[in-house]
Amino acid sequence: MSSPSSSSSNTTTVDASTMNNRENHQKPIPLKGRSLWSDAFRRLSKNKMALTSLIILGLYSLTAFLTYSNIIVSDWSESIGPSYAPPSFEDIRLLFGTDIFGRSVLYKAIKGTQVAMSVGLIVGIISVVIGVLLGAIAGFFGGIVDEIIVWFYTTLSSIPNIMLLIAITFILGKGIFSVYLALGLTYWVTLCRIIRGEVMRHKDRDYVQSAFSLGASRGRRLFVHIIPNVSHLIIIQFSLLFQTAIKSEVILSFIGLGVQGTPSWGTMIDDAKLELARGVWWQLAAATLFMFVIVLALNILGDALRDALDPKLKGKD
Amino acid sequence: MHLKKTLKSLFKLLPLLWLAACFTKEGEDKGMKVFHYPVAVKIKGIDPIQADDLYSGTEVSRVYDGLLEYHYLKRPFTLQGNLAQDLPTVSDDGLTYTFKIRPGVHFHDNKCFKNSIGRELVADDIRYTFMRNADPKENSKGWWMIDGKIKGLDDWRKNPDYSQDIEGLKVIDEHTFSFTLNEPFPQFLYALAMPFSFIVPRECVEHYGQEFLNHPVGTGPYTLDTFNQSNKIVYQRNKKFRDKFYPTEAAEEFVKRGLLKDAGKKLPFFDKIVVEVMVESQPRWLKFQDGKIDFIAIPKDNFSSVLTSEMELTDEMKQKEIELLIEPSQDVSYTAFNHDLPLFQNKKLRQALAMATNGDEYNKLFFNGTALVAQSIVPPGLAGYDEKFQNPYRQYNLEKAKKLLAEAGYPEGKGLPEITLDGTNSTDARQMAEFTKMSLEKLGLKIKTIQNPWPELQNKIKLRKGMMHSIAWLADYPDAESFFAILYGPNGSPGANGSNYNDPVFNKMVKEASTMQDSPERTALYTKMNRYIAEEVPVIFELHRTSVVVQHAWIKNFVVGDFAHDRSMYINVDTKQKERLLEEKF
Repeated sequence: MSSPSSSSSNTTTVDASTMNNRENHQKPIPLKGRSLWSDAFRRLSKNKMALTSLIILGLYSLTAFLTYSNIIVSDWSESIGPSYAPPSFEDIRLLFGTDIFGRSVLYKAIKGTQVAMSVGLIVGIISVVIGVLLGAIAGFFGGIVDEIIVWFYTTLSSIPNIMLLIAITFILGKGIFSVYLALGLTYWVTLCRIIRGEVMRHKDRDYVQSAFSLGASRGRRLFVHIIPNVSHLIIIQFSLLFQTAIKSEVILSFIGLGVQGTPSWGTMIDDAKLELARGVWWQLAAATLFMFVIVLALNILGDALRDALDPKLKGKD
Repeated sequence: MHLKKTLKSLFKLLPLLWLAACFTKEGEDKGMKVFHYPVAVKIKGIDPIQADDLYSGTEVSRVYDGLLEYHYLKRPFTLQGNLAQDLPTVSDDGLTYTFKIRPGVHFHDNKCFKNSIGRELVADDIRYTFMRNADPKENSKGWWMIDGKIKGLDDWRKNPDYSQDIEGLKVIDEHTFSFTLNEPFPQFLYALAMPFSFIVPRECVEHYGQEFLNHPVGTGPYTLDTFNQSNKIVYQRNKKFRDKFYPTEAAEEFVKRGLLKDAGKKLPFFDKIVVEVMVESQPRWLKFQDGKIDFIAIPKDNFSSVLTSEMELTDEMKQKEIELLIEPSQDVSYTAFNHDLPLFQNKKLRQALAMATNGDEYNKLFFNGTALVAQSIVPPGLAGYDEKFQNPYRQYNLEKAKKLLAEAGYPEGKGLPEITLDGTNSTDARQMAEFTKMSLEKLGLKIKTIQNPWPELQNKIKLRKGMMHSIAWLADYPDAESFFAILYGPNGSPGANGSNYNDPVFNKMVKEASTMQDSPERTALYTKMNRYIAEEVPVIFELHRTSVVVQHAWIKNFVVGDFAHDRSMYINVDTKQKERLLEEKF
């Protein structure tokens, strides 16, 4: 995992002009400054690597959506040739050869995209919801609430992750649903820590104080004023969580605790473990390639987002 | 000062380092005869009455002994005395079996005995062992085998009291014991060679209670040293093992293989047995190739690198002096329906499902075509098997299967719930489950495969959970009755009948056959039963497999076989040859 603690310290200070824009609606400012978001977008669009990654992410998402709605590779489970046919260019389906049952490895890898992307997305959302909510509450209210939440996540994070995952999948039974929950319920801790720290910094800032003096309730101060100002951290963390979840799904499926019955890159690599003995490398290659590209893209994107959203780097193009 | 402190702490670490060295170097085994035995599943424990699977049965037989055993080298399989001096004398009515117990047989030294010294085995231990099998509290997995057979035991079972006398289990004197049966039971002697009936000492069962499973105390050739369920089981030679000698007679094939070289030598040969638990086939294979384990059934993905298309060893294997042993197993692998569910009472549905799975393809993909597609339940080599018989529901035909499914009331699978299919958790097992899933989904069914560790799968079956499961059954004794037993209604879980199939017509036939001695009439009845089962399809029959095993040249006297569980006491190793080969060829 990348080191999120450093990212938090880099990106804490919100530019004063941005704040004025948000808080001060009365007077139009003659020279309109760019908001954090439009500035970030401008900087991101200049970064070719990041743009490519974004496009890759888009393509994967599209593929996942299309496989999910059965528009493409709905016939992945059909045999298209003999068992373990090597890769060939004769037929697009044979690009990565066939598996033990003569099914197209390419189709399986594409079908695996659906599993991977859904795991990334859903795990990301679960962790963000839990992490942000608990982090914000702990940071904002402090005291006993904070202590309880901190105790909870410290305890949770002191249990080796893989053990926890195995325990959860054993309780819930195996399947994709368990993978979502198992990963979602264990991966929120880092985000929770970051948000807690950020909210602590922000809650005494002037803009929050002014909201308070205008009579804003606690909930309004937290969710309307503070959260939007730390939301860039959530986005960065989300992109990192996304790829961690994908990798974890592959590992879980590899050790037989992941998805059952539909192709996953993890089960493909698990198959490859045996097949390599007979010189069948294409299933491993396809699964690794598909995973490599998306994980790399998400990593680059995560870094680019961090740079783009860091106000300290503003203007250093 | 600082240096001193560092030195001091280093000094403290020394024992640890020494300990680490102990684990890493194998020097301790130098000169010792060690058997490195691979096993593909986790072992649930080592208690005779829990040993209802091949793997735990094998472990149990290293530590425990039964009254009878199979002669190691005679074929067809022949029973002989083990803890009993000889085969029993049978009364004229064929109901009373009287055994002379071998004197001077001692249990392993263990703290559950007085002064921690193993006492002598006496007739009362046999009485206790069989009572324990019957005691509902002990939840014996072997009770089904003697259920209703021994006089008075079934009544005793209702209200177990170990001080009570039972008519069927009689201690005549310290070394004489007799069983009395309710009615003739031709397989009774076979039952005495099964792990369930291996003799346990009462004081140890009571001393360890629940933990007896992990603290086996028997009379066998080995004592348990370390039991690590998911990794390693280590046995040491029982130094006080009675005088038992390598056989001097053998079947023709074994004489030719030179298996009588050790004739008359004292058993066992190994000082130590290391059972390595490796669920996945590739690590097992790599260890075999490194000479770290002594034999292995060839994993499906390594076939082409080990055997040529003529089923001969490749040059690479020959160069390492590896030897090949091929022997058909008396077994059947199958996918069982849970007949507790009303869904599977539908015969047409079962037939449709069986017809949709392609046995030949399955054989080719997972066994490289070495197995035989099962038409019914009895494997070749046993009375009741019919070579020419082709089960119409085992001929793969998707169209007919679809038609049958429609007749069953589920056209294109409509109206069927999602069906779960339980199996074990290795990659091979997952692929096999996937094969069944794919085959059945072509009919329009929805199948969910579930992978379980072996003990967990067994537990699920015992608790009658799940809808379908894949498993195999190996003969317990050389009689087709051993296969009919797994479909006999009263043997339902937790007995041997994991599918809980309960068909009055079939039950009646089993009952009828159970009292018949081996005869042409019985064979005719067996054949009829086998056909009946083929028509009923209570389980989807898959294959009768063949053991294709390779062993290293240094392992001697190794025999592939079925129900004679523990053979490790007869197996020998040439340590000099091992050292030489490891140095030169590996």
